[in-house]
Amino acid sequence: MVTRQKIMTPQALLVLSVLGLVLAWLPLRANMQAPPQRIVSLIPAVTEMLFAVGADSQVVGVGSFDHYPPAVENLPRVGALLDPDLERILALRPDLVVVYRTQADLKQQLARSKIPIFEYAHAGLPDITRTMRQLGIAIGRAPEAEKVAGGIERALDGIRKRVAERPRPRVLVVFGRESGALRGIYASGGVGFINDMLTIAGGTNVIAQVNRESIQATTELILARRPDVILELRGTSATAQEIATMRADWNALKSVPAVANDRVHIIADERVVVPGPRVAEGTALLAGALHPQAFR
Amino acid sequence: MTSGIRRRVMLTVGAFGAVAAAAIALAPLVGSTPVDLRRALDRSIPFDQNVDAQILFVARLPRTLAGAVVGAALASAGVVFQGLLRNPLATPFTLGVSAGAALGAMLAITFNWSFAAFGISTVPMASFAGSLGAVLIVYALARARHSGLSTDVLLLAGVTMNAFFSALILFVQYFADFAETYRTLRWLMGDLDVSSYEPLITATPLILAAFVVFAWLARPLNVLSLGPDGAASRGVDVARVQRSAFLSGSVVTGAAVSVAGPIGFVGIIIPHLVRLMVGPDHRVVLPASALFGAAFLVGCDVLSRTLMSPIELPVGVITALIGGPFFLWLLVRKS
Amino acid sequence: MLRAADVHFAYRTGTPILRGVSVDVQPGTLTGILGPNGSGKSTLLRILAGILRPSRGTVTIDDVNLERIARKTVARRIAVVPQETHLAFDYTVLEVALMGRYPHLAAFEIEGPADFDIARNALRTTGTLGLADRLFATLSGGEKQRVIIAAALAQIAAPGSADHALLLLDEPTTALDVGYVLETANLLRDLQRERPLAIVVCTHDLNFAAALCDFLVLLKDGEIRAAAATEAVLTPANIRAVYGVDAEVRYHDSARHLVVVPLGRVGTSPP
Repeated sequence: MVTRQKIMTPQALLVLSVLGLVLAWLPLRANMQAPPQRIVSLIPAVTEMLFAVGADSQVVGVGSFDHYPPAVENLPRVGALLDPDLERILALRPDLVVVYRTQADLKQQLARSKIPIFEYAHAGLPDITRTMRQLGIAIGRAPEAEKVAGGIERALDGIRKRVAERPRPRVLVVFGRESGALRGIYASGGVGFINDMLTIAGGTNVIAQVNRESIQATTELILARRPDVILELRGTSATAQEIATMRADWNALKSVPAVANDRVHIIADERVVVPGPRVAEGTALLAGALHPQAFR
Repeated sequence: MTSGIRRRVMLTVGAFGAVAAAAIALAPLVGSTPVDLRRALDRSIPFDQNVDAQILFVARLPRTLAGAVVGAALASAGVVFQGLLRNPLATPFTLGVSAGAALGAMLAITFNWSFAAFGISTVPMASFAGSLGAVLIVYALARARHSGLSTDVLLLAGVTMNAFFSALILFVQYFADFAETYRTLRWLMGDLDVSSYEPLITATPLILAAFVVFAWLARPLNVLSLGPDGAASRGVDVARVQRSAFLSGSVVTGAAVSVAGPIGFVGIIIPHLVRLMVGPDHRVVLPASALFGAAFLVGCDVLSRTLMSPIELPVGVITALIGGPFFLWLLVRKS
Repeated sequence: MLRAADVHFAYRTGTPILRGVSVDVQPGTLTGILGPNGSGKSTLLRILAGILRPSRGTVTIDDVNLERIARKTVARRIAVVPQETHLAFDYTVLEVALMGRYPHLAAFEIEGPADFDIARNALRTTGTLGLADRLFATLSGGEKQRVIIAAALAQIAAPGSADHALLLLDEPTTALDVGYVLETANLLRDLQRERPLAIVVCTHDLNFAAALCDFLVLLKDGEIRAAAATEAVLTPANIRAVYGVDAEVRYHDSARHLVVVPLGRVGTSPP
């Protein structure tokens, strides 16, 4: 007779089940704890996210470079990536602090003070909605976060569909250079949220094969890659005069198709440089520049 | 032996000149993008559509020429400052010129200034203004205690200015955001991608004028190495020579830095190497260093363009990577 | 020939170094300037050479004020041998000697065969021609001194000129051992015999001065205490007054010059 080896005694099974239930219940219990009411955010994009999901009243401190929505101008500022002010942060008695993943010192200090943190790492476009959802869970506004994130994804999808049939121009996306000269040009490589925005907006990055988010584009590179369109992104607003000057700077490279065909666009709008809730609006701006007929 | 010096000068200038000419001729042919030389020179294709010609004449040639001019300027300025301070370890940046230039550039980048004139854009203008400011302060300080120009006080004033301007740079950086700080750091590493001839058209006449002064300074600098009293007793107008050396050296350095940022090591490696090859007579060392400096920086630029293409390494990094081991070798050789 | 008249000198800080010093150097003489540390000897030498300007008083050469003459012209007649020479770069001995020809050449003029000959002759005179291709920095103290003297000679060499030249030396024996001190004294005396040269030597080596000089100028605290022939100046009384040292001065038959033997500080007696 073959006896089946007992894997577990009934008693052991019972103990394990109870243990399992307890362990499964603990995170639920954490979630059922009160959501943070005194949030400090050092990151502009995350601050926007907090306000977008309706957590206005839960935010007590923002970073130095946070400007949207206008309500943040009334909140105390606690520094940013390079200079977080620990004293100010602690003085606000936060129960959640949103920090950059790379701020090792700050994270250590907050851990010593037993203050929970939410880590943010700058990444691609899909990570924006992912961060929103995670943030929503962390601050007890998961349904609102889901709604906003879903809205962003639908808007992006809409843009994608609108430009789907159109030929994709080869684009150089510039997000920084010396004023008045074509020097120190920083362009987006094949990774990062700017590149993702470009892809959705119906363009192909001329330097897509460089796997970096930011590369200093030399004159030779631009001449060799011959972009059909040049998009210059700027986070601050610009007067018509400034825009005209910026476009005129590119005339030094007349042989580039984008310059020859007058397809150099300056987009001076915060929404194209902040990887936050308004990223779909930013993407629409890019799409509008690339495919004006589809976005009349 | 009778016409020895003239012959040596001519031989040296000939040899180094050939090297520099070869470097300038060959450098535009090398790069991250393959260029068809025949197509580039084909006149039948309109220039605006000839990509090979564009890359050659708009991207590569200006930066090769910039490398030559900046390299010649920094190397010969190094020789002059070493002669002035009677110290082979002096560089064109010892007396505060580059710190002033860096402060000017940083202010322009951080506060996004915009004032272009004479075809020069803001950052080079601001950096040249900064370097002149530093030079004038150092000069005023050094003159305050002496009717002449005491090199000890000059050195002290220069080192102090370097420290003071560096502190100001840190202070300005506080107002800068991450991107601006990065751009300033990148500027400090040197950048020869001038993309047009305009910066050169403005800087080159200044540099050439200073070269004329250098030619006049060559022999007095020889005698000056005996010390200011030794030189004075031999009929050298020490105050005038020191003043001319300081001002012309600073103008050359300021102009070079405004074109391409403060590229280090050129001003100290080249004079050393050249002296090892041709001896310390400034009449030979000055032209040789200018030519060799031109060839050297053009070569470093080629490396910066090709080592990690299509990404470009800052040329200051290349010169530092060559300069560090060079000094180690010098040290080992001396002991 | 070279005359300092009532020269006063003070640095910008105000401390007076020289107060009303007058010196008269005749052609073909060997003059020594003596004095304790801080008496102003070096400063006086530099003023005589035209390197420093007196705050008050004049220095004239052949009755023409030095300040009115171009530096290069002055340098063709007055050469200085400093106490020490530190070369910043690796020049050869011949190159250093050739530097002496600087005042004879125009701005872009290159040394000609005559200049090379003069430099070589000068090196030969000081016995350093064999070192011509050596690096100056590798020489011993005595060899360096002689090369600098050669450079100075090349500087004031003016074949065919009847102008008298001056050689000024600042503490030439400080870095030298006794052998080289003797050699230097001999060399200077030979030089002075061979050509119409006036030599002025700054020193605090009393015996060296006694061996070499015909005339002595004794300085203390920026003022002249005595200026006359060697025998008249080098007396125990003067030495006591200026150096605060009791000394014996006597004529040494074999050496054939005065010899000073210091005995002790004033107020202490020898053991």
